[in-house]
Amino acid sequence: MEPLHKTYLLKSPELPPLIQSPLVHYSTMLKDKLKLPDKARRVFPDRLGSLVSGFNDKEEENEDSASETEVGKELEILLPNASGSGEGSEDDYVEKIEEQRQSGIRQGPEKEGTGLVSVKEVIAADDKRSDLEYELSQMEINLEKLQRIADTGLPEGGGLRATVWKVCKQLLLGYLPPSRDLWEKELSENRQKYSKLKQELLLSPSQFTRIKDESLKSNEQSADNDGDGLLRRHEISQEDHPLSLGKASVWNQYFEHTEISEQIDRDLQRTHPDMKFFSGETSFSRKARPTEEISPTLLIAKVNNKSSFKVNDVMHFYLQEAMRNILLLFSKLNPAIRYVQGMNEVLAPLYYVFSTDPDEQNAVNAEADSFCCFVRLLSDSVDHFCQQLDNSAVGILSTLSRLSELLKANNEELWHHLEVTNKVKPQFYAFRWITLLLTQEFNFQSILRIWDSFLSNPFGVQDMLLRVCCAMLLCIRSRLLSGDFAANLKLLQHYPEINIEYLLQVARDLSPDTSSYRLSL
Amino acid sequence: MVLVLAIGDLHIPHRASDLPPKFKSMLVPGKIQHIICTGNLSIKEVHDYLKSLCPDLHVTRGEYDEDSRYPETKTLTIGQFKLGICHGHQVIPWGDLDSLAMLQRQLDVDILVTGHTHQFKAYKHEGGVVINPGSATGAYSSFTYDVNPSFVLMDIDGLRVVVYVYELIDGEVKVDKIDFKKTATTRSAH
Repeated sequence: MEPLHKTYLLKSPELPPLIQSPLVHYSTMLKDKLKLPDKARRVFPDRLGSLVSGFNDKEEENEDSASETEVGKELEILLPNASGSGEGSEDDYVEKIEEQRQSGIRQGPEKEGTGLVSVKEVIAADDKRSDLEYELSQMEINLEKLQRIADTGLPEGGGLRATVWKVCKQLLLGYLPPSRDLWEKELSENRQKYSKLKQELLLSPSQFTRIKDESLKSNEQSADNDGDGLLRRHEISQEDHPLSLGKASVWNQYFEHTEISEQIDRDLQRTHPDMKFFSGETSFSRKARPTEEISPTLLIAKVNNKSSFKVNDVMHFYLQEAMRNILLLFSKLNPAIRYVQGMNEVLAPLYYVFSTDPDEQNAVNAEADSFCCFVRLLSDSVDHFCQQLDNSAVGILSTLSRLSELLKANNEELWHHLEVTNKVKPQFYAFRWITLLLTQEFNFQSILRIWDSFLSNPFGVQDMLLRVCCAMLLCIRSRLLSGDFAANLKLLQHYPEINIEYLLQVARDLSPDTSSYRLSL
Repeated sequence: MVLVLAIGDLHIPHRASDLPPKFKSMLVPGKIQHIICTGNLSIKEVHDYLKSLCPDLHVTRGEYDEDSRYPETKTLTIGQFKLGICHGHQVIPWGDLDSLAMLQRQLDVDILVTGHTHQFKAYKHEGGVVINPGSATGAYSSFTYDVNPSFVLMDIDGLRVVVYVYELIDGEVKVDKIDFKKTATTRSAH
């Protein structure tokens, strides 16, 4: 498969010479509109090679050309080992690109450009999809390769994104282990655990007492069926009644959570109201709303007879309830942080991706899977939500200062201008960026794309998050440099639209935050 | 899971000044969805207090109520159950179960809540269940001075009702529980 793949891309005469630029893979718009300086072209492959450890063997792989590699790496062979002369200073490069890009973005896509873009895009997307499918079908998944492919963006549809995300939450505690045959077992185990948790914690107190009574198997039944008479009274403990104020009372705990649950409901109403998936009623829910409680699997079984409804319609019906359950369960399991406004935003992309999985089995269990992945995702950043830890070494303030350091290491001028001259501290804008993993800054599709990179970063989500935040600052550098406190703050709090691929590329290129050492090759 | 408070015969301010403090500390807003009051509050302030616990309040007229606009009887549907309210002084002999059963059949309800006797009772007959929440303040009744303050909280969950009886005995709150299931044959005459 590889030789054909290579041939198609490199030697086909129909494709215009533009294709041969390595940039094509990373930034499609860029190539169409800008004339990049030569040195920029050379910068990319070199920088990329050294930043992420997984990439080190890229060169050998290319020579081998025996293993699966992604499209971009193939193309690098073209560039004769251009020794990394003239990497130039990153600032100039970034600035030039940024300005050209900005002017480029403001024009519309050019007519000639679009035709080329779509052909090339389709080719690249198809290849990527087949690469991914090949990777995923292996028995032992090579995580690094998968991550690298994922880092360049996952194709829409086909449930690939869902599967890759599940595997990629892998670095610390994976949701799905790399060996494919363990998937089934792992998935069902986790789903069972989730439903058990739900039963334990989310039960309403009356259901709880009912179950308890049934297990006691008293002879109440016979009393009821007896003729008439005074109804038997059973004494109960102080904690068992609804008005109990005792700490151990099921009822009391239930009522304590109603406040949280109301807050969650309110937030859920406001999640992505512009997206039909989250807000709208589908035709299914209008016509076939069941009157009593019914589980998703049963409902789907019923619905399968009427083939006009798809599984995804069913899942949407459960959307509010499912997301609510996940958030409530999380708040009960973590009494220290409970529910914080905004967690619904972090959950939304996860749930969306998992429940729009065309694989029926996966879609039905989207709630359980999203819960597990949501917990894993938040476990990295849970310290940000805890107020007591605000000033500690793991709290939000320390992360914000790391962001500052990162910015300072990469572009001292901008850092100085923002922090010292303008006094725009990261607390004012980056708090939301970091705690909500950038879900509020971009539109939904862009969020999914950015999360592809987050989840596939071998150094963890937080690391990539800081890099992207820093990149966000760098990308609007010139506007920031020319603005004062008010203008900059306004700009940063309503981050302008930007080419995501470009943003991610800048993020990847940043030097690590521990030193100001610039990579030169 | 619907919580319905059945309370009545407070006789404030004529026979009692206020609810017992232990009861008052338990009755907080936000937990109860409906309040059914058998009557004899007797003044508007008590009505307002009950309204603050829960906005959905249903009251029927007792003979000492100062507000004459309350109805004599009322019926409402909560979940799968039909409930009826009546103060009970209209049904003679007072507290007689057969007569109350007749009223229940007339109103066509599953659960009839009445008061006036200031004694807690929960009685089941073929037509349904009759519940008397007693007097929440322990006010003296036409029969006796020896009245324990009591009220009732019903947890309606599908076809099952769990009745929690709160009684103040010797200064301590005692809670009892009664289970009642509505079956299809409950309404048919045996």
